[in-house]
Amino acid sequence: MSITEKILCTKSHEYLLEDNGNYIIGLTDYAIEQLGDIVFVELPEVNTEYTKGDTFATIESVKAASEIYIPVSGKIIDVNNAIVNSPEILNEDCYENGWLVKIERTGDDSEFSDLLEYEDYKEELE
Amino acid sequence: MVKKTYLHEKHIELGAKMVDFAGWHMPVQYTSIIEEHKNVRENVGLFDVSHMGEIFVIGEDAEEFLNKIVPQNISKLTNGKAVYCQLPNRNGGLIDDLIIYKLKENTYLIVCNASRVDEDINWMSLNQRGYNINLDNQSHNLSLIAVQGPKSIDLIRKLGYKDNQDSFTIKEDKLLNIPMYISRTGYTGEDGFELLVINEYVEYLWDKLLEEGKEYNVMPIGLGARDTLRLEAALPLYGNDLDENTTPVEAGLSWSIPKNKLDNYNGKKVITEQLENGAPKKLIGIKMLDKSIARHEYEVYYKGEKVGVITSGGVSPILNANIAMAYVKNIKEICLGTKVQVMIREKLHDGEVVKRPFIQKRNKVTRS
Repeated sequence: MSITEKILCTKSHEYLLEDNGNYIIGLTDYAIEQLGDIVFVELPEVNTEYTKGDTFATIESVKAASEIYIPVSGKIIDVNNAIVNSPEILNEDCYENGWLVKIERTGDDSEFSDLLEYEDYKEELE
Repeated sequence: MVKKTYLHEKHIELGAKMVDFAGWHMPVQYTSIIEEHKNVRENVGLFDVSHMGEIFVIGEDAEEFLNKIVPQNISKLTNGKAVYCQLPNRNGGLIDDLIIYKLKENTYLIVCNASRVDEDINWMSLNQRGYNINLDNQSHNLSLIAVQGPKSIDLIRKLGYKDNQDSFTIKEDKLLNIPMYISRTGYTGEDGFELLVINEYVEYLWDKLLEEGKEYNVMPIGLGARDTLRLEAALPLYGNDLDENTTPVEAGLSWSIPKNKLDNYNGKKVITEQLENGAPKKLIGIKMLDKSIARHEYEVYYKGEKVGVITSGGVSPILNANIAMAYVKNIKEICLGTKVQVMIREKLHDGEVVKRPFIQKRNKVTRS
């Protein structure tokens, strides 16, 4: 099963991937393609709690700064420091190595209702 | 309606990402802004800058008229020479910045910003009374390709160019049998040429430049890299660094203004007063001391007090650092080496005042 078959996406281009009961959050390949060269990543502190829709990170391409929204409520349990030091990892691979944070969910399942499977997300873009 | 250059189809074929800029649908990048940027510094790049304005000023009073509308001394221009100019209003604020080329006696070419063609024409028309000149806006008939980078000379030589003209000169010539104006100018801080042709020839010229340029690693370059290149070279961008409330003295362009010009040009009173006594604000270069990126309109602080605003900022792919230009209060405490702070997402980040340009420019070419 490819990774894009396992993720859920937001219309603002974040993805959510289940990982042993917790969730990995990143940006979709479409988002990365649109941004172009990523040159700066700002990630939150571990243990910070966010409510669905909050800004939790900032990603900057050469052209502009973009806020990244959390797809479901949760507490940050891990951040990908490698991309802070080498933002270009995101341009190479936004799923395996270029993930942003890991969270422990704090919201209820209704928060999943507006998330899209990758195929449906791609269709929405067209 | 959004305008398209005669190379629009070519950009789409090359897979460019397109954006609206100054009323034109233009390529912002083809592959990667950073890759395109480095290729111009190391090899050669092609820019479609056909959106820019070309206005011919022709007539027996052309020199006198131009001396009225710019602070620079047009009388010093000899045939084939070019000069970087500004177009001030009566308060010294800038309506545009321009390059003026003297093609021959009584015939000048003005190349201006795409976003300002209409304002420039309006302003020049308002100033035209009493001068025997004709203002001929040819922007819609002409296309412009910039060939920039250390290998630009090799590339156009391959197309038949035999000369080695000085920087800031223009000549009428033929390459590939296409009549054109060739000027040794650009907006990157590199050596390079700008080729001005009538629209019908531009696709052929573009294709030939890409084809013949393969051995020099030529790449098409979008507006994204055009912006990062000009920022490294600290060349001002109208709308970011220049506007109608900013004088050329404030904009750090005093070097371009002769102090002894006799003609009474628009804005002279304010500009000469500021040349002598200083202006309320000044342009500085900033290098960020962490990884943060200062961008247009972010606030600048010095010792806890807001002292100015970023006009242009971003990454420098060559310095591998983030750089910016800002207008700050003209106080002597803020000078080279001073630490200032930039407010980025509600946090202050340290930057250091550094000299402009941020890189060594390599566009000074003179015949040996």
